[in-house]
Amino acid sequence: MERKVAIVSHVQTKHSSDIGMPRERMLFNLVKELHNKVGITRHDVDSYVLCSNDFEAGRTISTVFEDTPVGAYMKDETKVEMDGIMALIYATMRILSGQFDTALVVANSLGGSQFRPFLIMEYQLDPTFDRQVGLINELNAGAFQARSYMDKYGLDEWFLDAISARLLRNGAINPYALRSKDDATPEYVASSEYYYEPLRKLHCYPFSDGACAVLLACGEKAKELCEKPVWIKGFSNSLETCRLGERELYTSPSTKQAAEKAYKAAGISDPANEIDVAEISAKFAHQEPIICESLGLFPEGSAEDVAKNDLAEITGKMPISPSGGGICTYVFSAAGLINVAQCCQQLTGEAGDAQVPNAKIALAHGQDGFCAQHNSVVILSSEEG
Amino acid sequence: MAFQMGEETRTFPITWDVSANKYKIESRGLRILTEGMKDKKIRGIRCHECDTVYIPGPFYCRKCHIEIDEVVEVKDTGTVMSFAVDMADIRGNPLPEKRISAMIKLDDCDAWFIGTVENMDWKDAKVGMRVKSIWVDEPQGKFSDIDHFEPI
Amino acid sequence: MRNVAIIGVGYTPVFVSKRIDVSIAEMANEAANAVFRNTGLTIDQIDAVVQGNMQPFECVNLPYLWASEHIGAVGKPVMRIATGGTTGMTTLMCAYYHVASGLYDVVLAVTWEKHSDGDAQVGLAGIVTPEIFTMVMHGLDLITGRGMGGTSGGSTGAAAYQALSYLHHSGADPEHIDKMAALERSNAALNPYAHLRKKTTVEDIQATPFISWPLRYGHTCPTTDGATACIVASEEKVKELTDGNVAWIIGVGSCTSDPCTANFIEGQITDPAEQESCRIAAKKAYEMAGIEDPSKEFDMAELYDGFAHQSLMYAEKLGLCKEGEAHKLLDKGAFNIDGELPINASGGVFSTNAIGTSAMNRPCECALQIMGKIEGEHKIPKKIKKALAHGWGGLFQYNSVMVLSDTPKKSS
Ligand SMILES: [Zn+2]
Repeated sequence: MERKVAIVSHVQTKHSSDIGMPRERMLFNLVKELHNKVGITRHDVDSYVLCSNDFEAGRTISTVFEDTPVGAYMKDETKVEMDGIMALIYATMRILSGQFDTALVVANSLGGSQFRPFLIMEYQLDPTFDRQVGLINELNAGAFQARSYMDKYGLDEWFLDAISARLLRNGAINPYALRSKDDATPEYVASSEYYYEPLRKLHCYPFSDGACAVLLACGEKAKELCEKPVWIKGFSNSLETCRLGERELYTSPSTKQAAEKAYKAAGISDPANEIDVAEISAKFAHQEPIICESLGLFPEGSAEDVAKNDLAEITGKMPISPSGGGICTYVFSAAGLINVAQCCQQLTGEAGDAQVPNAKIALAHGQDGFCAQHNSVVILSSEEG
Repeated sequence: MAFQMGEETRTFPITWDVSANKYKIESRGLRILTEGMKDKKIRGIRCHECDTVYIPGPFYCRKCHIEIDEVVEVKDTGTVMSFAVDMADIRGNPLPEKRISAMIKLDDCDAWFIGTVENMDWKDAKVGMRVKSIWVDEPQGKFSDIDHFEPI
Repeated sequence: MRNVAIIGVGYTPVFVSKRIDVSIAEMANEAANAVFRNTGLTIDQIDAVVQGNMQPFECVNLPYLWASEHIGAVGKPVMRIATGGTTGMTTLMCAYYHVASGLYDVVLAVTWEKHSDGDAQVGLAGIVTPEIFTMVMHGLDLITGRGMGGTSGGSTGAAAYQALSYLHHSGADPEHIDKMAALERSNAALNPYAHLRKKTTVEDIQATPFISWPLRYGHTCPTTDGATACIVASEEKVKELTDGNVAWIIGVGSCTSDPCTANFIEGQITDPAEQESCRIAAKKAYEMAGIEDPSKEFDMAELYDGFAHQSLMYAEKLGLCKEGEAHKLLDKGAFNIDGELPINASGGVFSTNAIGTSAMNRPCECALQIMGKIEGEHKIPKKIKKALAHGWGGLFQYNSVMVLSDTPKKSS
């Protein structure tokens, strides 16, 4: 690619189970915060890529009232209806085409207070079969997946508790996180109630309200607008069948496919050593090892070893989700974009107590669908290269 | 290419339950407007940057992208920007009486809204005609406080 | 900037009001198969797949998760776009940017709508559900529509304000809407992929009842089941995969204004007939395409007209003629299939509206005319060098414009 694209700035809300204001005000405040941070107005943005979901918004064409609060009045605007990380990918392509120099990506949902994410998921089922039969919901599908991984590698539930405990502790040092506990232990997680065995409450994502905005620019423009641009080095995405029965749920071939292409674009040959930090969209504790292993960050079936040896801790060999990940916050439609924002903080040295020392290359991940049917990967770097 | 309807076809009823939504709506502008209507006044919000007057007043100006809060009172007379004459309902069934439903821009403001215009033959209605609000006798702070509009 | 071309188009075998023999995903599959049949390509030659529709119309959330398998997109990068009425064109634009970015070479775009699975009026009312409920709580009288804030006749009522405002400012008569409607329905009769295919006279249109004057039942679009697929490719791949008979996308532009109907909460300040966002989108697309005088340079146009007056209105907004002249050109026969500037030779959205596909069928029809691959008698009897496609949607606020050409832009 001739052009380079970088992230100039990013903002996110303090995520909560009820943000307590209308969506339009949440978006307006968010984008104004970004404008003030960068020192621009809405007229400095060439293109707007929004991301929200009609079912969550309870509105046909969810963006009709989102355009003006984000400043898109009389501007180029479009909407990606997937995970927010895909909106970032589309915005990057738009800049790469040479037609735009800057693009603002805004993703949001009120999945905590307005509409239950489990329902959003139910509407995703094939209406001619799975939805009619009524046997699958997001939680039991998650439980199938967890069980599949445990059976494949002969593990008990302890690794789920350990993962959630680590993420809850990370959440305690992330000012934006919804759920957290600074002294969380596996025993504490194991004391939460079962939803669908083996999944307990604290193995599952919390219903979250929130939004995230990321400003992208072409290389030259990014250097003008900020001191530390974060460079987008590679990305891709891939998808599997929606038939759970036809999938090997303990692994994620679509993540593998997406990662291969993203690594190739970014010139990464040894991900486990070259990537300094990863923010993973795991809606359930067991999804983190499944996705990380497919990303090549850990060996297959290593969840228990990783937890016992603290490898995924912020201070570990391969820090995973220093933000607390999906166990602390999962903003439907925005989760992947929030991961990108968290990675940017790491790469610009603004992650505070969650800072991974000398983080130079970060991986952000996003997903959609039952048992992470669709996966997207973005590789970010603090160095232009 | 031959096109044939399938023999083995089943229809599955599914509803989209929007009642599960708990919508959050910005209501300052609506409150200012409806409270004023109790006293037969119409109030909106002006943008201090571009002077656009909105009714109901939003919390921000979409042109200037700034927060706005200057409450202003506008007249209850206005001009018809466009209108439609309703002759059938949403499903196409004829209405018993034809009804002029007009886009009315009130004087001193930039916003328009829809209101019914009565006491005139629909065939005489014109874009640009002047109308006034006809209030109910005892307003309660509701949109129904303006019963209808009439040509001046 | 990289040159990108439409190399093939595929439609479902029919566009009808109710397909009872296929599901949404199977319909998407029909369209994808059609484009592969028409181009001789296979799914293995596709680098990425872009999909679009308006999901609340069928009550399936993120239907790409279900439909992708039926298109052959499993294991490939996918993207889903949804922007209301413009979805078709913004989906195709997304495919365009996939290639223009330099990252992908051959990209498949698939759009669909299966209106018979849901209720279009409910889906449309769903755009402003919270606003309407809020207004009812504040005393809006939905039953009689009297007083302040009332609105009429669903999307037809809202379009009626636009239609009359347009008539007032342009000097056209309501009869011109009848005439445009008759022209497009008669064009649709020639198009095997149109939905309402009946040769129609002005008298036929005038025999239909008014819903909201000046709009009649005969001025409104149907709700259709159908799907469209389209493959775009880079210049190198055009050389490799085709005989060179392709349609180049030489200009794209899109723009949003603000909701100019049913914006009960934030206040509406925009006349729905103003459509400034259409002018801005067109300006951008024309600049990119090097179009200096749109009134002279186009050989045909496919405009998005959910309602018959919009063909005339958008012809003016897009600069195909001066303000207030569209109806005069219509009277002169300029918009006929054999006229100077055929508009909606396909019959337009007004005759076939599977919403997700509607704004994609516009550039696809242009491409087929440019390539001379029109099936049916609505082929324009002249060489098409430059064509204009337009999409419209949202609460009257979204516009997208695409310029197509038989030759690529010279690389700069
Ligand atoms: Zn202003």
